[in-house]
Amino acid sequence: MNKRRPNPKQVPDPDEPLWRSTLRVAMPLNLSYIPIGLACGILLHAAGFNTLLTGLVSLLIFSGGAQFLIATMLTINSPLLSIVLMLFFLELRYALLSSSLSPYLKGQSNRFLFIFAISLNDENYAINYLKFATDKKWTGKEALMVEHYSLLFWAVSNVIGSLIGSALKIDLSIVNFALTALFLYMIVMQIKNRLTIVICLISGVLAAVCMMATKSTLGLVISTLIASLIGFLLESTLRKKLPDSHWLWKLRSPGAKKSAVENSNE
Amino acid sequence: MSTVNTWTSMQHFWLIILGFFVAFIPRFLPLMLFTKRAIPEWFNEWMKYVPVSLFTALVVKDIFIDSATYQLVFGHIAEMLAAVIVVVIAYRTRSMAISVIVGLIAVFLLSLVVA
Repeated sequence: MNKRRPNPKQVPDPDEPLWRSTLRVAMPLNLSYIPIGLACGILLHAAGFNTLLTGLVSLLIFSGGAQFLIATMLTINSPLLSIVLMLFFLELRYALLSSSLSPYLKGQSNRFLFIFAISLNDENYAINYLKFATDKKWTGKEALMVEHYSLLFWAVSNVIGSLIGSALKIDLSIVNFALTALFLYMIVMQIKNRLTIVICLISGVLAAVCMMATKSTLGLVISTLIASLIGFLLESTLRKKLPDSHWLWKLRSPGAKKSAVENSNE
Repeated sequence: MSTVNTWTSMQHFWLIILGFFVAFIPRFLPLMLFTKRAIPEWFNEWMKYVPVSLFTALVVKDIFIDSATYQLVFGHIAEMLAAVIVVVIAYRTRSMAISVIVGLIAVFLLSLVVA
């Protein structure tokens, strides 16, 4: 399994066709979409979605968080408008993700950006952002292929999950944890120095406070904006006043790809 | 959770269509705007901290916030312990698939013991 992870240091094979090299990059994500997609399909089935609509929602919305939210809110009988509103607040975060990808997609046509935006989501964003930051040859075309591979695996896993859900009885609270585990993995991959861990703690506390205050996932958007702003201000202050601060030291970890990201940022 | 929902497939369909628009617009508009004009450097530096803040917030929501009342709960012991296991596994293996699968197995086994 480790051989297939996207490692910016490995020597690329010049004869390898593009569909295969991008598939190799996308494969770890594709594989982890299988359990999460299955879980999501099972939950959507329990919420009353038929298999066809489960496929459709996976293709059109393509967001684990949003689809888990739809399933949860349908089972507590929320009205249509309030589900759509919650989805809007949950999906607002994509504005931040696509803003941060935009420097790498300059000069692309509007048609390309349209197609790219449809299949953008948290996880393929994380992969593409890493590749854009570490691999000079990574372009919008490769990034779009990664998005489409992950979309395919996601939709198929959801449909199969829906079919499993109609055949078996499954504990849904356990299935829900698949997405949490995925987010935890994403956090670990983003941690570059001690300061990042501090930001995580701040963000976690803020998220709890903001969600209790707003009684909705709007709190997620607010706390994300504030925590990332604090991170930015702390880092620029530290770099100015204490450039040698140990809070900025790189963390060593068994995988080497974080250091590659950092070097390209400097 | 049980199947208590009484929506028809047509209502589900409209939910998907509306959901598509609220999911698509925030993904598309910033790409459209910021690929055409320059982004200030400070904005990029700020955006660097968005993923980690967002993912942490989502994890806190999944583990510590009740999905119906939005109150803080500390009762999900199995999820908390499994989260620690996932972090260790993710740090050691750097593999997304292994982290998720180990996390699912851990929460299943732990919920048998502590719940």
